[in-house]
Amino acid sequence: MDNIFTATFFVSIFASTIRLATPILLTALGEIYTQRSGILNLGLEGTMTMSAMAGFVCAYFSKNLFIGFLGGIIVGMICSAFMAFLSITVRANQVIAGTALTILGIGFSSFIYRIIFGIQKLPPQVESLTKFDIPLLSSIPYIGTIFFQHNLIVYLAYILAVFSWIVLEKTTFGLNVKAVGEHPRAADSKGINVSKVRYTAVIIGGAFAGLSGAFMSIAYMNSFSDTMIAGRGFIAVAVVVFARWNPLRAMVGSLLFGIASALQIRFQAIGVPIPNQFLLMLPYLVTIIALITVSKKAEFPSAYTKPYSRMER
Amino acid sequence: MSKKINKIIQAIFPALLMVSGALLTGAILIIISGNDPIAAYAALLEGAFSNSYRISETFVKAIPLMLMALGVSIAFKNQIWNIGAGGQFTIGTILSVIVCLYFKLPPIPTIILSFIFAFIGGALWGGLAGWLKARFNANEVITTLMLDYIATYLLAYLVYGPMMDPNGFGYPQSAVIEKVLRLPKLIVGGRLHTGIFVAIAILFLMLLFWRSTLGFKIELAGQGNDVSRYAGIDNKKIIVITMLLSGGLSGIAGWNEIHGIHLRLMTDLAGSYGSIAIVIALLGNLNPLGIAISAYFFSVLIVGGNTMQNLTGIPYSLVDIIQGLIVVFVITRTAFRTESIQTFFRKRRYQHNG
Repeated sequence: MDNIFTATFFVSIFASTIRLATPILLTALGEIYTQRSGILNLGLEGTMTMSAMAGFVCAYFSKNLFIGFLGGIIVGMICSAFMAFLSITVRANQVIAGTALTILGIGFSSFIYRIIFGIQKLPPQVESLTKFDIPLLSSIPYIGTIFFQHNLIVYLAYILAVFSWIVLEKTTFGLNVKAVGEHPRAADSKGINVSKVRYTAVIIGGAFAGLSGAFMSIAYMNSFSDTMIAGRGFIAVAVVVFARWNPLRAMVGSLLFGIASALQIRFQAIGVPIPNQFLLMLPYLVTIIALITVSKKAEFPSAYTKPYSRMER
Repeated sequence: MSKKINKIIQAIFPALLMVSGALLTGAILIIISGNDPIAAYAALLEGAFSNSYRISETFVKAIPLMLMALGVSIAFKNQIWNIGAGGQFTIGTILSVIVCLYFKLPPIPTIILSFIFAFIGGALWGGLAGWLKARFNANEVITTLMLDYIATYLLAYLVYGPMMDPNGFGYPQSAVIEKVLRLPKLIVGGRLHTGIFVAIAILFLMLLFWRSTLGFKIELAGQGNDVSRYAGIDNKKIIVITMLLSGGLSGIAGWNEIHGIHLRLMTDLAGSYGSIAIVIALLGNLNPLGIAISAYFFSVLIVGGNTMQNLTGIPYSLVDIIQGLIVVFVITRTAFRTESIQTFFRKRRYQHNG
């Protein structure tokens, strides 16, 4: 008991923190594009489940993980295009549309999976993505194990965080996304096609959620179950708010959720009598507190959850 | 009188249309999956109605769903998107069991106190989100969702920790509440209990509520800040009251499940009730009677869905798909309806000007 807090313990905790934060980070990054454009996509849980299923099915039949990831991304984009259609074209309530998408996504993925594979004693499996040790860096003691001995998607997620920050802060496209989220009418009068930008932003969000869903079934695990996303889609929404729509802060938020679950898994495994539920609760509490401070400063995109119509004043 | 019947038909017809649409889409999916849709739905109905136990189950499941959907509907009327009914329900179950296990009171006061605690617990859990919205402008979608998770982990903490049954062989569950505290069963060999009368009483209270001043104020507040401000309504206060009541009803649903069905705390008691309650409230058009009918309909789907899976091999998830489709139809219809109303007014204005 006394010597569990050794260097090995911390190294393995931090390494799994980085791995566990990956699906949350990926989904949150996509949702930042979506929310910045003024759309709240609450259907990420369903999108991720669909992509986890699609990624698994594609990888299983093609025996190729790359096709699995591609399948997951495409299905993620299709799901979010549906969300975009409901919230932009139909101008339906986004909270309810997201709820519908979550119910539908989980229902459809479990239905399709059962139709394809039926009931089997052993769940069908794929060879999941192996880890890739980055040469030289991975052999640095401690640091190497924590940061440089993961699979490629893990590295990609953190690279995409920096990339997304650049896209949103330094490019015209990023500026347009923020403009339609802040003041769609002004953006419209400047000649920005509000629906087009919003559709693009929501579908980009779907691509990220799709990669993240496929990560769950063919890189983090090697099989599919309709409960495997386990709330990560909703956690990603929390991370986005926590991060105040900044991709780099989303990295911090995802790591916070990651370390909470890493510690919880480890404590449970070694039977430490610390109530780990409080640990798991902590990120949600922090999110509420973050939300209070954010809302006061009114950092929400001004047109958040508001459909845009040219005809309305 | 015929006008009234007309009005009822007008209210029910679209709901029936949307349900049929969803069932029809479900049938197409069944055909694609290589099965017979008629056999599937027949199995579903058989699973829900073929014997008295199953029929009683349809009512057993409908009670908490209806109570939670009624709660959700109060918030939705005020355009507050309470998606954390599951968490408010969970707090209700926790407080009910605490009263039953640790307050050494005679049976009747215990049941009543448990009811009050469950209501207050659910109300405070919802009201907290309402207060955060009123005070800090914190988006209720996020806060109710976060509070939902916090409640789930709080429940897990209690059943793994301080409230774990000392004679329960380490299972994550609390001790069972005393026999005298259980709601009496209504039929032999079924689980239907007297909680249904409480649910019916609350249904009637809700019908009256929308005719009361407070109900009217909540509805008015939902029409937009300006409308209600001109009517002299304190919007912030109404937001908090709305969420208190909304959460309170889910708390009562928790009380009902503890005293009538579960009799103890276990992990994840709320399951997916929170999201089903949203679907029911919407299909019921936020109207108490509509909600009662759609709660029963969904309960039939849930009870029959398992039998369908066992008899025909069609996955239970078809029920989820039908639920999701119904929501899509409802919101699409609502959106188009508001659209047409707006176009109508705009046309009138133009005609007036021209």
